[in-house]
Amino acid sequence: MTYSTSPITSLELTLPNELGYELVARDAVAAFARRLGMSLDQIDDLKTALCEACINAIEHGNSLKPDLRVEISCRVEDERLVIEVCDEGVCPFAPKSEPLSIMEKLAGLGSLRGMGLMLISQLCDESGFVSRNDTGNCFRLAFQRRRVTRLGR
Amino acid sequence: MMLEDELTVGTRDREGVAIIDLVGDVTTFAEEKINSAYREVTNKGARFVLLNFRQNDYINSAGIAILIGIVTEVNRNHQKLAVSGLSQHFQKIFRMVGLAQYAEIYQSEDDAIIGFKRLNAA
Repeated sequence: MTYSTSPITSLELTLPNELGYELVARDAVAAFARRLGMSLDQIDDLKTALCEACINAIEHGNSLKPDLRVEISCRVEDERLVIEVCDEGVCPFAPKSEPLSIMEKLAGLGSLRGMGLMLISQLCDESGFVSRNDTGNCFRLAFQRRRVTRLGR
Repeated sequence: MMLEDELTVGTRDREGVAIIDLVGDVTTFAEEKINSAYREVTNKGARFVLLNFRQNDYINSAGIAILIGIVTEVNRNHQKLAVSGLSQHFQKIFRMVGLAQYAEIYQSEDDAIIGFKRLNAA
């Protein structure tokens, strides 16, 4: 048997639309990131951010409907690992306003949930919804493979 | 099918500190267990509450929301809250979401006990 020596630069996954399956994506993409030489700190950030994006897709985009799927694609672009998490939801999922701070949550001004997008934005080098022709939402996360240390990280 | 490392919650007292041991994943499925443990130690009159994390490979935003709910109750009941045993990554996450403003973060249970003693003596 011979093995390919060319580097693998992409990975695609399809998840059932059930909470908990974000962990399958997390472990697979973390293994992919390790092969790309990303640091353990970056991989920890990636794992948390990816799980939050998957939870949003499962809970909000796909409204927890068990017959739907979440598609995840990872690819290397120059020095970045770009991950797209796409759902089949018919309703666009995008926050209408800035997330509440913990102080506002403790004051009872809104739900205790809703911190996922804030976490993602702080853990990734780039993140946001991207437009697509199909139905559903597509959320993109990007990580520099060799991140320059930033203040506060 | 349960893919998570299901959370095991236990409570105990150590030197006047009510310790809630959290072993496993802290997600939306942990809500009843964590809230029940908090109610139990509060009903016993706990003033100092330590959330002692162990082997927590996965804490997501739904789990963090549960902990923010605990902070709300701790404030209402005039208790002091601390956390221990978190990995460096999750310590960072707790700071990002602001939980560190309301719960002192200690590396270990022993450090937390010392911290509570100092607080009690002050």
